[in-house]
Amino acid sequence: MTVAAHLIRVDKLEKHYPIRASAFSRRVTGTVRAVDGVSFTIDRGETLALVGESGCGKSTTGRLLTRLIEPTSGTVRFDNIEISELDDAELRSVRKRMQLIFQDAGSSFNPRMKVGSLIAEPMRLAGQSADTCRARVEELLPLVGMAAEHAQRYPHEFSGGQRQRIGIARALALRPDFIVCDEPVSALDVSVQAQVVNLLTGLQREFGLTFLFISHDLRIVRHVANRVAVMYLGRIVEIADKATLYKSPQHPYTRALLSAVPAGRPGVVRSRTEVVGEIASARAVPPGCRYHKRCPYAMAACRTDDPELTDLGGGHQAACHLVRPLH
Amino acid sequence: MEASPLLSVRDLTVAFDVRQGSFDAVRNVSFEVRPGRTVGIVGESGSGKSVTAMALMQLLPESARLTTGRIRFGGRDLQGLSERQMQAVRGREIAMVFQDPMASLNPILTIGHQVMEPLRIQLGLSRATARVRAEELLSLVRIPSPGQIMRAYPHELSGGMRQRVMIAIALSCGPKLLIADEPTTALDVTTQAQILELLRDLQQRLHMSILLITHDLGVIAEFADDVLVMYAGRVVERSPVAALFDRPGHPYTEGLLRSMPPLDDEDRETLPAIEGNVPSPFDLPAGCAFHPRCSYARDACRSGIPAFAPLGATHDAACLRTGRPAA
Repeated sequence: MTVAAHLIRVDKLEKHYPIRASAFSRRVTGTVRAVDGVSFTIDRGETLALVGESGCGKSTTGRLLTRLIEPTSGTVRFDNIEISELDDAELRSVRKRMQLIFQDAGSSFNPRMKVGSLIAEPMRLAGQSADTCRARVEELLPLVGMAAEHAQRYPHEFSGGQRQRIGIARALALRPDFIVCDEPVSALDVSVQAQVVNLLTGLQREFGLTFLFISHDLRIVRHVANRVAVMYLGRIVEIADKATLYKSPQHPYTRALLSAVPAGRPGVVRSRTEVVGEIASARAVPPGCRYHKRCPYAMAACRTDDPELTDLGGGHQAACHLVRPLH
Repeated sequence: MEASPLLSVRDLTVAFDVRQGSFDAVRNVSFEVRPGRTVGIVGESGSGKSVTAMALMQLLPESARLTTGRIRFGGRDLQGLSERQMQAVRGREIAMVFQDPMASLNPILTIGHQVMEPLRIQLGLSRATARVRAEELLSLVRIPSPGQIMRAYPHELSGGMRQRVMIAIALSCGPKLLIADEPTTALDVTTQAQILELLRDLQQRLHMSILLITHDLGVIAEFADDVLVMYAGRVVERSPVAALFDRPGHPYTEGLLRSMPPLDDEDRETLPAIEGNVPSPFDLPAGCAFHPRCSYARDACRSGIPAFAPLGATHDAACLRTGRPAA
């Protein structure tokens, strides 16, 4: 049997949360459609970036992929294994191969644990011996640009950038294949962001890691991603390889998002696609195209018909009534 | 002829006394803001940019004191004013907008109440007049259906709307100077573009000066006329915005500019990063605080604090390399 090219295959993934009349009520008065029918694949060794505004469902998607939360419906296949069907023991063995890196690694550390124990914790939980753990920690610290002696120190003794390096070492401890990086550099100082980005891309090359890179920073994404998926209100509205998405975005939302990024040069006035208003709430998803209320090109059909992702060739897809399919 | 400055800060030094000891958060900071202009202060966490703003407003915490410095605003010294006189300056002449509007708005009072409050207290308007004026201010910041928003509570509004409300409150008494401390940092990129556009429009209409504090060079490029770059409590470069981006004089500025990933460039394997970390204020390197991270550093950089050397009529940098041919 040949190895599937895709390490991750997500099909029609949904996560809906019931809205209850009150905290103790059983009466459901509505639904938050946090993730609402998302499908994509990620190849081995690839970085797929998931971009969009806060509340678009990108972090929820990352948690669903690692089954930190259970989907309402849809499937996630990891290396051809359907992860939602696994029992606890099976899930534990698959989970070793998938890890998460969060925005603020420091706040998820137990402050009373030394750096060495923090990094070794996933290995201890996986039943590995103290000696194996110690040896692996000594290997990991230099790999993330820190000294082996740092294992004996506490996390508060380190800067934000160094704590993020510790978080990365911890994520690498079990030699994963796949890492969900959820805004991994957003909380860092500008001068330190580039260091951590370089560390992540270097480790990816060295170990053939596959990344889902969740970020709102379109400059960082332009640098790290192979492909980019744009999310809006629980849906992917456009997905393409990086060069295509940045050079010829097709969905009006992608265009608006890209044109809103400051030019980065004084005197350069970027022609801005007008965006009116703000992202709607996932509690009240508009009928038709979810973006129509903010879209300058909205037509009658956009108010009633929900556009499907249309194939534009070369893996480029966009969900917009104005986009003409490839024939 | 150049207009005389609205705000002139000379040799501002602010010391903090905390449990671990005392340190200078801001050292010898001098700058001017002319009428109708925007001065941007760019720096990372701990650079002293927000403390500078708080010192201007005399809103420093109890652990802080102004050790030296002269702050002249509209032709008088602000330090000489009593707390009562300063209260009149705050709000009426200098207003402030912060990063997190939710933390500045009172959650249990309606938006209307909070917009009307300064109108009634500072300007002594009657309830009815204040209500009319408050609705005008909400329309000025382009809030749709202001009458309805007046009755809403802060949690019912989105982040972008709350920031518009904060701007409306800041503008209520027609300030000459608006201090905006990371006004768009907590917002999504499309909302950020809307808020910056709003501020630009209001500045022109009301002929205000703006002191914009941010870590984001993209925002600086779009919005500032003149820029101060701060590092570890000191100003390291002062420049008109175009010259700063074209001919950065300080290696830190140069590093910051290079580490910003371009939106439309060829792919690069690694991002040019500034190595090392932002120093702790308790443990500042001797000499130029940037020297441990600077690739140009030589012996002289480790001993003395570099004086400002001119690069242009209104452009200078505190670096020993500046003004001499590059070795």
